[in-house]
Amino acid sequence: MKTILETIDLTKSYKVGKVEVPALRGVSLRVREGEFISIMGPSGCGKSTLLHTLGGLCQPTSGRVIVDGEEISAAADSVRTDVRRRKIGFVFQRFNLLPTLTAQGNLEIAREIYGKGTNDRQHFREILTLLGLESKVRHKPSELSGGEQQRVAIARAIINRPSILLADEPTGNLDTENSKIVLNMLQELNRKFNQTIMMITHNPEAAAVAGRLIEMRDGRIIPHEHDVTWDQQEDKIYI
Amino acid sequence: MRALATILAIGLEVALILMVVGLTRGLISDSAKRIEGIGADIILRAPASSYITLSTPAAMSIKIADLVSSIPGVGHVAPVVTQFNTQNGLEYIYGIDLDSFNEVSGGFIFLNGTGFQKSTDAIVDDIYANSKKVKVGDSVTFLNNSFRVSGIVEHGKGSRVFLPIQTMQELMGATGKTSMILIKCISKDNVQPVIAQLKQRLPGYSILAMDVFVSQMSSAISNTAALRYFLSFVTFTAALVGFFVIFLAMYTAIIERTREIGILKSLGASKRYVLGVFMREAWFLCLLGFLCGLAFSYSGELFVKKIFPSLQIAFGLDWMLKAAIIALISSSLGAFYPALRAASQDPIDALAYDL
Repeated sequence: MKTILETIDLTKSYKVGKVEVPALRGVSLRVREGEFISIMGPSGCGKSTLLHTLGGLCQPTSGRVIVDGEEISAAADSVRTDVRRRKIGFVFQRFNLLPTLTAQGNLEIAREIYGKGTNDRQHFREILTLLGLESKVRHKPSELSGGEQQRVAIARAIINRPSILLADEPTGNLDTENSKIVLNMLQELNRKFNQTIMMITHNPEAAAVAGRLIEMRDGRIIPHEHDVTWDQQEDKIYI
Repeated sequence: MRALATILAIGLEVALILMVVGLTRGLISDSAKRIEGIGADIILRAPASSYITLSTPAAMSIKIADLVSSIPGVGHVAPVVTQFNTQNGLEYIYGIDLDSFNEVSGGFIFLNGTGFQKSTDAIVDDIYANSKKVKVGDSVTFLNNSFRVSGIVEHGKGSRVFLPIQTMQELMGATGKTSMILIKCISKDNVQPVIAQLKQRLPGYSILAMDVFVSQMSSAISNTAALRYFLSFVTFTAALVGFFVIFLAMYTAIIERTREIGILKSLGASKRYVLGVFMREAWFLCLLGFLCGLAFSYSGELFVKKIFPSLQIAFGLDWMLKAAIIALISSSLGAFYPALRAASQDPIDALAYDL
């Protein structure tokens, strides 16, 4: 299967005053097309930093990030923005919908940014049906439940058919019932559209719906024997 | 609330420009029309006379009128002393010799009363009489002196208020002087030869055919340096107000909407897109502000006319367009830096932002 996302010796440090605080300490990772991966680990282990770096929201300190064949690690902000627009979909714990727009408005603005105009109506309807949002499109976020808001956020993230969907604790603000609904929908997206998904979670039950689990600690991925592959050509171990 | 305050402030910017220009233009064009309405063929004024004050007040010897009368082709001559009056409104008061003024103008049409009976009599036109609610016999104050209204005439002949020329000269301390001399030629064919003669005999004086004078007066705003500077200062101040209002409004907006900016950036919005969002918002506020400014200006016109019914205000499409362009430029400049800051925000910081 095609490798859709790859990181090689990825490091990321933040400067707090004069002190360098390492958030990622050499992450090498390969994600294949259509995989559903969950990332677990204690707070501060670098999960969100990894997701932000993969999505081009920030630049790594060193190492490489290759998204669907395009290297973005050393790329300028404008290039990373372009790759993000074309290949990445983000879902956040806090939903991050634009509060003044309706659900439809939130989807439309995403389409406007992606530059798809009003094309691909069928895909649009398919997503709305899959996420059970047909009757909610005219509601503003404040008129929707947390689960519904998150479903709108998921719809917004995948409306552009991104190569990879990055979800940062998508069920973190939801009750058990809504968490189940959202997780089921992510599974459906993975199955029906072969959507590659990387999901951060603290919840082992949520992590269980994914096909592969990655655990992180202290800015590193904890290797599991069955997940480790050795690239003979590069003489590198990938998770 | 922020948007409303911005719209109102831009509205005030536009209204300030339109009202100042409208009043200035209204005053000048109204005066031009009324001077034209006298019916004189030539206007003679002292050297370096202004279009705004109509003349350097009483700067010419009245004896020049005799000299003018002696020129072949001249039918009638009327010396007029003018004074700009700011008491109870804005208008020119004419000091006239009723007989000579009647000869040049073809005579007042009296709606009530008669001409001057005494040196403390005044003639007012019907617009003035209606707006100030005065009747023949009433006492009115001009130039800090009390006058009795001796007659009310139909409007359109130079001024709204006329006093005896000697009285005006005394009040201004200009005995034997005049501000301008209005000349009626025997026929229209005599106008240019008379002007040529006058220019020869009175070099340096402003001697113009009435149609030329009126057209020059109408374009006084663009031709008069002092007025140009004044209007430039007013428009610059108004533009500066617009700039700062939009700047502060948009600056507040990007702080309030930091998270929104982060969301847009996480969706892949480019710097140009985010810049465009804020610039479009500023332009939209500017458009609403401009419409609000027009409403303010027309309301202001109604208000001013209620207090000073004789005052004319002429906004003109050209200045409406200029006011719109000034508001647009000041809004664009005011919004650009905040919009640029919004566009350059770090998406992670923006997403983590909480008010």
